[in-house]
This record gives sequence, structure tokens and C-alpha cells, in this order.
Amino acid sequence: MEQRLANTWQMTVNERKFIEMALAADLRVDDRGPFDYRPCTITFGRHVFLSPPFHSSLIYLCAGGSSEVQLGETRVMSYVTSQLVQPYRDRPNEGTLSIFTEFSPMADPAFEAGRPGEFAIELGRIVDRGLRESGAVDMESLCVVVGKLVWSIRVDLHILDNGGNLIDAANIAALASLLTFRRPECTLGGDDNHELIIHDIEDREPLPLIIHHLPVAVTFAVFGEGNIMVIDPSYKEESVMGGRMTITMNSNGDICAVQKAGIGISSSVIIRCLEICAVKAAEITSKINHAMESFNDGRSIQYPNFHPVDVAIQDNLPDVIMDKKQIENLIGHLAALPLDALDRNSNKSGAVVVGTNTRAKFENNQARDGVPFYSPSNWDPYPRKLCSRLARSSLKLSGLPEDVEEDKVNTTQSVTVECGLEHTKGASSSRALETPSEYTTVEATSQYIKAPKTLKDAVKIQNRKMRK
Amino acid sequence: MAPMEVDRADGRTSNQLRPLSCTRNVLHRAHGSARWSQGDTIVLAAVFGPKAGTKKEENPEKASIEVIWKPKTGLIGKVEKEYEMILKRTLQSVCLLTIHPNTTTSVIVQVVGDDGALLPCAINASCAALADAGIPLKYLAVAICCGLTGSRSVILDPTKIEEKKILAFAYLVFPNSPISVLPKGSLTEDSEPIEAGIITSVTHGAMPVVDYFNCLDRGYAACAKISEFLRRSMESQAPSDLTKTT
Repeated sequence: MEQRLANTWQMTVNERKFIEMALAADLRVDDRGPFDYRPCTITFGRHVFLSPPFHSSLIYLCAGGSSEVQLGETRVMSYVTSQLVQPYRDRPNEGTLSIFTEFSPMADPAFEAGRPGEFAIELGRIVDRGLRESGAVDMESLCVVVGKLVWSIRVDLHILDNGGNLIDAANIAALASLLTFRRPECTLGGDDNHELIIHDIEDREPLPLIIHHLPVAVTFAVFGEGNIMVIDPSYKEESVMGGRMTITMNSNGDICAVQKAGIGISSSVIIRCLEICAVKAAEITSKINHAMESFNDGRSIQYPNFHPVDVAIQDNLPDVIMDKKQIENLIGHLAALPLDALDRNSNKSGAVVVGTNTRAKFENNQARDGVPFYSPSNWDPYPRKLCSRLARSSLKLSGLPEDVEEDKVNTTQSVTVECGLEHTKGASSSRALETPSEYTTVEATSQYIKAPKTLKDAVKIQNRKMRK
Repeated sequence: MAPMEVDRADGRTSNQLRPLSCTRNVLHRAHGSARWSQGDTIVLAAVFGPKAGTKKEENPEKASIEVIWKPKTGLIGKVEKEYEMILKRTLQSVCLLTIHPNTTTSVIVQVVGDDGALLPCAINASCAALADAGIPLKYLAVAICCGLTGSRSVILDPTKIEEKKILAFAYLVFPNSPISVLPKGSLTEDSEPIEAGIITSVTHGAMPVVDYFNCLDRGYAACAKISEFLRRSMESQAPSDLTKTT
């Protein structure tokens, strides 16, 4: 036990005094203002959809919705999956959302693998309250068969690098991944309208989640006697601070959750923090929306017939088939690049970096069959309680032009996005050609599950028939 | 026997690898870190160490390596424990264990994307992370996955869809080709070059012995290419250590 403590990093008295004295003079060690966030970068992941014959169990796992957020030195990855389960007995018409936090030992030598520590649990609870209990994610639209089958959404948050202020970064990552997540569509059909058909991704477009508002967490660190507050504490500031307050707010100014621990703060300071938080929440919401717009536009450009693979917006992945000569060329490119274009700290200006350079227009978002592409601005923010088939048709009809968020990005303008690496420009055009061929050999199938069955079968369906 | 051209779903030939990418020093708190991707299989590895002390069952006269495998979602099960064990044994034969006795070096592997050939990708990432952390190594381990199709031809670096369809596959790990001032042929064991030795071999499915040797030949050739790529990507990133901030 002593060996573990010996290996952890301890703050020296000199550093502690320095940080405290600097804050008393309104200076922060990394040259930020007291209410400035560190530069935030949101990147989205790429996933492979497997067609149903390759799933071993009948619990249909839908991949998709992965994001990685870098807030200064802090890095958090979020991954969303869904499966069909039996609902809770007291809420038979609502789906479930659960958040799992993994404090990976790679983030901090003090984190131990295995049981989550108290801070891990606290972080999970704060994100959970902000997302689930404030009603940000619509649960009733996840119901498939009342009382029998609902979608259960699971969000896994992996903390990869602890640079301070994990709560804010984890919250942004969870939001970004939930916004890009798509689940397969399932309808009731068959001979007697009792059979559940889960449509394959090739058949019908997967559906996004209905998200009413974006709750954003803003963390304040308290120093001194409760009078000095700074936003977005770095790791060193966190080990010196006297207390912490996290306010989860959406861009409408609604407070979703408040968590406070540590030394006492007067109520006037808290009111001031709430006002600052409203401004910061709006800023972060617009950043997330901007990232989403670029991502969705990129997705529709490269897959005009809507293929289910999310666009890779990682910097270092040229998507061409490489033989030896091309490997040499690639290494030549990597060597010639400026060092800070490679991965971390690639964007110091605070804007969102996306690795594709596509110019997108909103008209291209129309998918086949004239069904409008479900980008965030088309979602109906206040769905009534409907069955799945009606819900789908109401989504088609409504297409509300206004967002819940205040600052809506005008999507009819063409979008130019910064490109961290120059050499991916040449490769991105070939991406559209390469990847659709990956899925030409995948067969389109759908599963038929016959109801009624016992409760055990509803949870884990053992046998299913597949029909071409 | 003459190799037959196999139709692969993404248009590669049987000898083509997916695009490789290696980035080192991606994390700030870890002593060494690397992100390795082969197509859609992406693995992030971080290294902490050496830390004082070893666990009870480890030999205190040597350094020990501790591997933690983090899957993308879900709890840690038997598959993850198996990967940890294979990775640990591979890295133990790669590191110089007698330099820092009675210490523990932790390697943490996080799966960011899984599209086939996950274990080779993790081995490559861990070696790059160990080199980034400055842990003394004998050589780097370079890993490849070779699959055997039903028509008994060998394909390299199968994707997850291909892995389910083929007859058998093998994960092969070779040491990387050394560059030395000694004349060629002096670094040999029994007239075989040192990089032809197999560090680790894990097979799934049944394959005839002749086909296994085919896989070894192909894997060895491919690993020579991967180790060239690895060496060049490390050389090109070496100056970044001078500008690294704390």
C-alpha cells in the first residue's frame, strides 16, 4: 500500500503557495482568465456495422455514437450502445439510459483498475442527473412494445487522460456521442401485427435519439476563503482548491443539476456563478452544435445513398489501400508535417477541429426516397406519447424549423472546416469510393421474433428465424 | 502451390494490409503512450513505470510487467484476461528485465475501435508506447494477423467480417529487423536471421501444418514491412521529445 502511495504524484508546498498567491492576484498559472475554458476539441469515431448473421446472441447490439473530447490536457472518450430489454415494472412505456464511467489507470497513476473510487461514482452521477433526470433524452420514444420491449441505451465514458475538470469533458463527450448515435428501426408487422421486425441497417435508415435540450456542465473551483472562483480548473489547480461546484445548465437558462462540495460559498457568489454559467453553457452548446453540423454534413456528402458507417474524422487515417510505395509516401508526409499537427494540441485557437475538408450544402442531406435526412434541426423537440409507427410518420411531417437551442447555425450556408493535416485532403475524395464497397457483400436480412413468449425470452431471445 | 487471388470485401488483394497509422506521445499524464490503427481497428496504449515493488507472485530479481486491458464497452471477462496474459508474455520477452529489478511497469491498453486483428494491433501499440516511455527493450515486437481461407490461400490483416468467414487465422509476432553496424549474418541463431524468430503465435481454428508454414512466411514478410514503417515513424517523431512540455 505504501508503495502505491509512493508512486503517486504529490503537490509540493512551493507549487501550492505559488498557485494560491497567483490566484489572489487574479492570475492563473496557464495564463488564462479566471472564466476562460481551455481549448476544446470534439472528434467522432468510426464504426463498423455488422449485419445480423454475425451476431451470436439475439440481443441486438447497434454500434455507433462514439466521440472523443480533448479539453486542454484532459481527454475523455464516450461510446454509446443500445439493446432491447424488458422495461422496469413501474415504467412500462419508457426506455432506459445508463451511464458507466471507467476511470482508466492510463489517465492517472492514482486510479486503480477494478472498483470505481468515490470520484468516479460522483462523476457518473452528475452526468446521469444532467442527462437523464432532466429529461434531455426522450425515453418514451424508445418504447417498442409497452411492458415487454424497450431500448436500453448505455453510455460508457472512458477517462483517458486526467488533466483536470473531468466532469465537464465527460459531459460534453456523452452529449456528442448521444447526438451522433443511431439505433436500428423496429416496427410491428408480420401477419397479425404481433411480430417484431428489427430492420437491418441496409433496409431502413437507423434513427437518431430524440434529444430535447443539451445540458452542459460547468465546473467552478473555489479558492481562498470562498471568494475566489475559477472555471475549468487544471489538474494542479484541482489539487490546491478548497472546494468545487458544478452547475449543469442548458442554453435556455434552465438549471438541470447542481453539485457542490468543499468550503462554504456565500449566496451572492453563487448567483454570480449562475450568471457566468449561463454564458458558458451557451458557448459550449454552440461548439457542440457546430461539431455536429460538420459531422453530419460530412456524413451525407460522402454517403449520398446513406451508408451506415459514420465518417472517420480522425486526423491520421488516410483511407486508401496502401502498398509499400504508398506507405513510404505516407511516412514522408508525416515526417514533413509540423509536429503540432499530429494529434494533441493540434488546435490552440479553441475552435472545433474536424479532419475533413468537405464543403457541404443542406440540399445534399436529402436521402433516397425523398425521406428527409434526420439532422438535428429536423427533430421534433416535443413529441407526444406515440406508438413507434406513428412516431416515425410524425417525425416526417413535423420537420420543425426552429431548434431548442438559441443559436442555430444556418445550415444552408456551405460549411468549411479546418483541416488539421494537409495530406488527408487528397485521401478524403477516395474515401467515398472505397468504403461503400465494403458493404456490397453484406446481405440484407431482418429478424422476426414471435410474441407472445415467456418473460425470459423477452429479455434474452434464444432462437430467431432469419429470412432473406 | 500457386497463390490464388482472393476476392476481399474492401478490394484489397490477399497481401495488402490496411492503412497503418502510429502516433506516439498522445497522453500527458502517462509516461509513454501510443495510438496505433490498422484500418478501423484502433488501440490506445499507455505505459507507466517503472514503479517500485513487484506483486507477490512475481520474481523480484527481474522487472515485472503488468497489463490492463480495457474493452470498449462492458465488463472485463475471460477474453480480456486472455489478451492480458498473451500481451504480458510477449512484452516480457521484448523488454530487458534485468536492468531494473524489483519494479513494475504498467501497460494499459484501451480499445478504441475493433474491426478484426485486435490483438496484433494492441501488441504494436504497446511496443510503440514502451519505446515512447523509454523502457529499455531488446527489440520491438511487430505483430500481424494471417488468415487462411477455405481455398487454402493466406490473406493478411483480415477485417472482422473476414475473420468470421475464414477457416482459421493466426496472430504472429516477430521481432523487428535490426539495423546494426555488424556485418550482415553475424546476428544469427543457427544460420537464421534474428528477425525470423517467432515471439508469439496464437492460432484460432484448425489449419494444416503446410498452411501454417505458409502463414509464417507471409507474416514474416509483412512484418518486415511493418517494422520499416514503425522505425520510420519513430525516427520522424523523435525531435518532438525536445519540445515536450511537462
